[in-house]
Amino acid sequence: MARVYLEQVTKKFGNVVAVNEATLEIADKEFLILVGPSGCGKSTTLRMVAGLEEITEGNIYIGDTVVNDIPPKDRDIAMVFQNYALYPHMDVYNNMAFGLKLRKFPRAEIDKRVKEAAGILGIENLLKRKPKELSGGQRQRVALGRAIVREPKVFLMDEPLSNLDAKLRVQMRAELAKLHNRLQTTIIYVTHDQTEAMTMGDRIVVMKDGFIQQVGAPMEIYDHPDNVFVAGFIGSPAMNFLDAAIVRENGDLWVDAKSFKVKLPPTRFETVGEYIDKEIIFGIRPEDIDDREFVPDATDDRVVMADIDVTEPMGSEVYLYATVGQHSFIARVDARTRARDGMSHQLVFNAGKAHLFDKDTRKAIR
Amino acid sequence: MRLGFCPGLPASEVVKALIPLTWEIVARGLGEIGRLLGIVAASVVVLEGLAYLILYRLLRYKYALPFMLLLPALVGVMALIIYPFGFNIYLAFSNMNMFRFKEFSVGLSHGITNLLDVFRLPVLQKVTFFQLLSRTVLWTVINVACHVLGGLGLAILLNRPMRGKGIYRTLLVVPWALPQVISALAWKGEFHYQYGFVNLMLERMGLHPVQWLTDPRWAFVAVVLVNVWLGIPFMMVVLLGGLQSISQDYYDAAQIDGASAWQQFRAVTMPLLKPVLTPAVILGVVWTFNNFNVIYLVTKGGPMEGTDLLVTSMYKAVFEFYRYGFGAAYALVIFVFLFIFSAVYLRLSGGFKGAWES
Repeated sequence: MARVYLEQVTKKFGNVVAVNEATLEIADKEFLILVGPSGCGKSTTLRMVAGLEEITEGNIYIGDTVVNDIPPKDRDIAMVFQNYALYPHMDVYNNMAFGLKLRKFPRAEIDKRVKEAAGILGIENLLKRKPKELSGGQRQRVALGRAIVREPKVFLMDEPLSNLDAKLRVQMRAELAKLHNRLQTTIIYVTHDQTEAMTMGDRIVVMKDGFIQQVGAPMEIYDHPDNVFVAGFIGSPAMNFLDAAIVRENGDLWVDAKSFKVKLPPTRFETVGEYIDKEIIFGIRPEDIDDREFVPDATDDRVVMADIDVTEPMGSEVYLYATVGQHSFIARVDARTRARDGMSHQLVFNAGKAHLFDKDTRKAIR
Repeated sequence: MRLGFCPGLPASEVVKALIPLTWEIVARGLGEIGRLLGIVAASVVVLEGLAYLILYRLLRYKYALPFMLLLPALVGVMALIIYPFGFNIYLAFSNMNMFRFKEFSVGLSHGITNLLDVFRLPVLQKVTFFQLLSRTVLWTVINVACHVLGGLGLAILLNRPMRGKGIYRTLLVVPWALPQVISALAWKGEFHYQYGFVNLMLERMGLHPVQWLTDPRWAFVAVVLVNVWLGIPFMMVVLLGGLQSISQDYYDAAQIDGASAWQQFRAVTMPLLKPVLTPAVILGVVWTFNNFNVIYLVTKGGPMEGTDLLVTSMYKAVFEFYRYGFGAAYALVIFVFLFIFSAVYLRLSGGFKGAWES
């Protein structure tokens, strides 16, 4: 078990910069998630830690050792691949034992470890089967087992759940989190799925275009996104972004979106002072817009009359696709809402939870 | 431009004199081809018409259409494989030879005699069946081993990112793309004692020239070299295809598991290549065992039957010594050998199944 430290790590493929001066410290026993859209450099970062890609510039430490020139087999890491990469000609037992055999472990020790890992994962009855004879979920477990038996310092997982069907994915998500508690190992986990990122990790690293956008605990990132990209990427449905301006009226500050206005609570005055009469990006999460009916204490200064284009009942809640003037946004409201397609309906903006971004830098105004 | 062998005339005149290709000849050639195609088309129409009348109209057969679609291929297989095979068995039980060409007789006793003769008499003048068999096996083993190793080596070299890959691949496939007759005859020239480049190179390197085509041992080396050269590209192409179908992920996983380059080759490349390698080896063995072109064109089996294989001596026994019954029995024996080999090899190697099946 060990910390992993990336120091100004850059990876170039020809002229393309895949990862740009990434600096990142992953604590011992931490479950760290690298998340971002495809092509953001998250897998490349993971493969550099694994030793499958060379580092163009910078250093990677595992423990206190610089591992830049150490081949994968000597880095004491194990990796789970997106498509599992189980050896098709070996049965489950040998797939799991292969790494130990190559490392010349005694036969009894190999047997003990494989059986133990199979027990943890509930695949004891599959040890004699070939990968071809397994379902997707079972293969996934074998791939995990192959990593577990090695008892490595660091687990690397490259989108391990993305080939599973939705239901199994939810189940494996919880199991992986449990496994982490049990094994107490450092895990670096790559995904493009913000739900996995939010639910599994101790910390999340959001990446885009080879740059690290923000690092933090899931709720910290959710509540305080550093910029428009992070705000839009984390959370589902995504945050609404409206072009607006900050205006002062009668000593109060308002977000003016032309077709409607929302009053900001006094706690925000301090930070937005220099943006008065300037254009900004007004971000608001769908759950921070509610049906007027279920917010009895709503004051008129944050109520907006909106045209409801489409309603999407999700069972526990309803998504409203609403339009006000030139702005369209999504609201996530109580399932009892009486809003219907084509109606005009009163919605309440929770201005205290509003996210304000600088229009030029696209960074959060704080 | 002027040609060396006819310096008095411009090249175009020489070519014209050598090949008097006129429109009449071209037209006649095209006419021949047209007539042949016409005959084939007409027989297909007649055949299918008859099949239609009988199967559809007369019998109202349920599978009339599939049968009609298969018919041309069936006729082809019958005419080119099944009938000759049956005729060969018939001949093997006859005493047909140069002296009894028209008034031969057929019977079990002739068959037994022919079969025994295969093993007890010299096939031609002095070399016996078992000598030929061991030489053919040696020839096959050396050739197929070199084809597989050479092809695999080149395939691995080509299966990496590199500049000019397409050019190398094309150049390496050339020996296979050329008609075998041309390359075999070209090689025969290159093994010429005085003018062939092989001996010229040896002399340049300060070595003695070799009696490539007149010393039986060296002649055998020469035909092996030619056939290795001819056979590597096929294996290379097949194995390259196999290598390209192996996902990089397996190598990544093996690296993480701690496999060295050699261990990756053993644990990933070889087993995953097996489904491609097995049929390629079977084909290679059958083709090499039955190789006629290279031997016949480069050495004619000589000198002194020194490079004859089973098939070349069979050809000579039939078409130079006119021993038809004997030759047919001989062909059956070769067939049985190859049949047993293929069956055993398929069984032992798991045959045409994928690597993940067991």
